[in-house]
Amino acid sequence: MHRRGVGAGAIAKKKLAEAKYKERGTVLAEDQLAQMSKQLDMFKTNLEEFASKHKQEIRKNPEFRVQFQDMCATIGVDPLASGKGFWSEMLGVGDFYYELGVQIIEVCLALKHRNGGLITLEELHQQVLKGRGKFAQDVSQDDLIRAIKKLKALGTGFSIIPVGGTYLIQSVPAELNMDHTVVLQLAEKSGYVTVSDIKATLKWETERARQVLEHLLKEGLAWLDLQAPGEAHYWLPALFTDLYSQEITADEAREALP
Amino acid sequence: MAMSFEWPWQYRFPPFFTLQPNMDTRQKQLAAWCSLVLSFCRLHKQSSMTVMEAQESPLFNNVKLQRKLPVESIQIVLEELRKKGNLEWLDKNKSSFLIMWRRPEEWGKLIYQWVSRSGQNNSVFTLYELTCGEDTEDEGSPKVPVSTRKEGCLLFLPEFHGLDEATLLRALQALQQEHKAEIITVSDGRGVKFF
Repeated sequence: MHRRGVGAGAIAKKKLAEAKYKERGTVLAEDQLAQMSKQLDMFKTNLEEFASKHKQEIRKNPEFRVQFQDMCATIGVDPLASGKGFWSEMLGVGDFYYELGVQIIEVCLALKHRNGGLITLEELHQQVLKGRGKFAQDVSQDDLIRAIKKLKALGTGFSIIPVGGTYLIQSVPAELNMDHTVVLQLAEKSGYVTVSDIKATLKWETERARQVLEHLLKEGLAWLDLQAPGEAHYWLPALFTDLYSQEITADEAREALP
Repeated sequence: MAMSFEWPWQYRFPPFFTLQPNMDTRQKQLAAWCSLVLSFCRLHKQSSMTVMEAQESPLFNNVKLQRKLPVESIQIVLEELRKKGNLEWLDKNKSSFLIMWRRPEEWGKLIYQWVSRSGQNNSVFTLYELTCGEDTEDEGSPKVPVSTRKEGCLLFLPEFHGLDEATLLRALQALQQEHKAEIITVSDGRGVKFF
């Protein structure tokens, strides 16, 4: 093997090729960038026009808001990106979600002692609407999810757990892993879950099922019912449908105040 | 006497009738039970109860839900109430109790305010006068006709609605402790002097 000859030459060639590619790559990139930049400017102008025309609509109509947000997303614009900045100033969209975020926190605080910091999106929606009163802007579940995602990004301990077609919103950072979440999803149907349910549906061992249920009790998310037919039932206040019709009591409202 | 009593959400929540193993949850549960017992008794004008009655009362026995709080747990709730000053055992066996939705000290304060406001400090009342013959414990006492009821008929005043004689006595004892009143013996029973 003639190391020197092959090595030096090959390396040199390689380097030259790389340099050429790099050059071309740079040229390409610059070109592309210039084009994209032009396009973005155009997009931005159009969007500005659109936004100013439809500002009212955006604030008033939840469906319209969803479509507007989706549109922004496709061109990589986040109207809620920062408190200050073009979009939130332009549309006041940021304010809307900020205020909504505050309302969500209030509802969650008020109900936390009842449900351990876990609430269905439906109940949250109901309570938020109640709090806003008749003449306030309408708020959709989509709005809530967006506001919560913002809260989540701010590090407030919120998380969103998908269950049976809807979502559970966790406002207190409890330690929930996959096993816990899967059991929550199981409980969503009837508001409670049993060891047998878990074994039958998830095919787990008794011990694994028991551990999850113990954890839910420990986190204050579940209550134990020893008078249920057959075996112990573990009920989640967050999923207890009857609770939806309950008003926030005066005590609970007091808890929500700073 | 079907009251439109508003049961709290917990009353329809099956695990409410099982003593919770998690201590934080148990605290919330007991607080809710204490609150429920007091508002139930207040609305039903029930100032005393036996443990047997309690077990079968709709208060601890939700027939529709098919759940009832077991007697050991009832005892725990009652002990909480006793610690808070809202309950007093009437016998050594702890089979019957006095339940006071307002603590005797709180009643005492209200009574003393009423006495001062109406300028009746240093006046003496017999217990009979204070209750105007509404002696809940003695069925045989004659009822005082409305026309002869004096200003001193405490139990007929709206602000003392829900105050029974046993609790009244304890309220007066609380005032006595604070040297704002003195329970004295009069010719046919007991009386009280306010300072």
